[in-house]
Amino acid sequence: MTTTAVTSVEIASEAPRSDFGRVLAQRERRFAAALLAPAFLALLATTTFPLLFLVYTSAFRMDLAMPFTNGFVGFENYQVLLSDDRFWTSLLVSLVYTGSTVALQVVIGLALALLVMEMKRGQGWFRVIAILPVVLSPAVVGMIWRTFMLAPEFGIIDFLAINAGLGSKNWLGDPTLAMVSVISIHTWQWTPFAFMVLLASLASLPEDIYEAARLDRASAWQRFRRITLPLLRPAIVMVIIMRTMVALTAFAAIFTVTAGGPGTATEILNLYAYRKSFTELSIGYGSALAVALLIVTIIISGILFAMRRAK
Amino acid sequence: MTAKRLRGIALLAISMVFLLAWAFPIIWSVMNSLKTDSDVLAYPPKLVFTPTWEAYRDVLFGSGSILPNLLSSVIISVGTTIVTMLMAVPAAYALARLRFRGKKFAGFYVLATQMLPPVGIIIPYFLVLRNIGWIDTYQGIILIYLSFSLPFAIWLLVSYFEDIPFEMEEAAYLDGASRLKTLWRIIIPQVRGGIAVTVVFVFLNAWNEFLFAVVLSGNTVRPVTVAMFNFVSVEQTLWAKLAAVSVLAMLPVVVLGVVAQKHIVKGLTVGAVKGGGRR
Repeated sequence: MTTTAVTSVEIASEAPRSDFGRVLAQRERRFAAALLAPAFLALLATTTFPLLFLVYTSAFRMDLAMPFTNGFVGFENYQVLLSDDRFWTSLLVSLVYTGSTVALQVVIGLALALLVMEMKRGQGWFRVIAILPVVLSPAVVGMIWRTFMLAPEFGIIDFLAINAGLGSKNWLGDPTLAMVSVISIHTWQWTPFAFMVLLASLASLPEDIYEAARLDRASAWQRFRRITLPLLRPAIVMVIIMRTMVALTAFAAIFTVTAGGPGTATEILNLYAYRKSFTELSIGYGSALAVALLIVTIIISGILFAMRRAK
Repeated sequence: MTAKRLRGIALLAISMVFLLAWAFPIIWSVMNSLKTDSDVLAYPPKLVFTPTWEAYRDVLFGSGSILPNLLSSVIISVGTTIVTMLMAVPAAYALARLRFRGKKFAGFYVLATQMLPPVGIIIPYFLVLRNIGWIDTYQGIILIYLSFSLPFAIWLLVSYFEDIPFEMEEAAYLDGASRLKTLWRIIIPQVRGGIAVTVVFVFLNAWNEFLFAVVLSGNTVRPVTVAMFNFVSVEQTLWAKLAAVSVLAMLPVVVLGVVAQKHIVKGLTVGAVKGGGRR
């Protein structure tokens, strides 16, 4: 490698024109290809290949419990899907779950970040405590809530409800309460995320704008509405996008708590695809449901990214 | 003066409520893990009790010990971390520093793979792994964990690679060092911190994963997040033991989270800022 000494000069130049430069650029491409190959082969094998195979299996009846009925069915799974009430219900549950958890996370997270910014001492406590829920496994979180927080009578939430005069409730057995519970659990775990991100971007806002606004006697609400909110918009939209993607494919925190029940009360589309495939062993139809979930994800993220670009 | 003080007290009260709301479920699990079953079930809930290590002794060394499951979790997480880093570090370096055609597309592809819902990956993978007999094996689980750990690690590392000044490499090239040597001797030491943070996050995500684990695990390979279910059944719940297992499952990630505290926000939002621009 005697020629490499000149490489740096070529890196800096815009486009290598000489033959010598072309050789070096080619060498750089080859080096890049060698470095990228393992990771990209792994990604092809673990993401692109499954996607193609998923679309393929969705065109089959593939019932592990009744293999003799298996065979190519074309678009039949999708036709069934469109007239499947459970699919539409699960889609609605997904939208309610995602919409409410994301809205709650952003509103509470933002309010709390603004509040903590006002504090002169004790910010450190928030930074440490806020990390705890975020790093936990949703499966463990779900299990803790299902038992020690929500179990009738000795669960802390139920204990508080009894003492507040509401009486003991069947938090996970009643369809509406079960939905409220899984939404609350998700919000509990992920609000600290919104809080940390928004606190970080609040802390990076320029101080002098606020100084000017104060001199102009802008009220606290005006300052928030006219300065803070527009400046925070990119961070807020980013939090919304990230949290929406996660909420749409939430699994463990619902599976461990209600498993989608009672009945299908908390069965989001993601969970329906799982149950269809691995509980009812109807893999072909489950694949069609997973494809539907992917399409929903793409549509929603398309809308969110359009929102991000819009002024 | 009084208005200001009132405001301060209100601030303090509200913040205490939130801190308690976040910390309590975790503290309560720790407390319950140190109780006997009858203390766990006491009404009203007992805040003061005689602590005992009995639950931990039972879940660790009793019959149906979860030690093999903890070991499973460790092997899966460490294995995933090593394989991920071996692939992600070179790839991230290429994406951050080298010039080649299709670079933008490569970056976009890495991000786009994250759009795929995990359930859409596990259905086909279950069929494939079943065919080649890789259900209930470490290689099966670690392979599929790459689907989420790789894109994440690559993007996090790219953000660290981009922070290094170009002059470092140029100086090395001028000294006649080869590309590989430069990467290994000059660049990697510069991003040691970033690599450490990435390792923490990859480990954390692998430790916490549940959907793939619940489908692919069996009697040989069953991480602790899945094994937890053994303590909750229709007939009975082993309350104190469940609390002990939860605490054991939480312990490594809480420690890592607190250690990596300063980098958490960056790790959590990686790809989002940059990705948005490229989409």
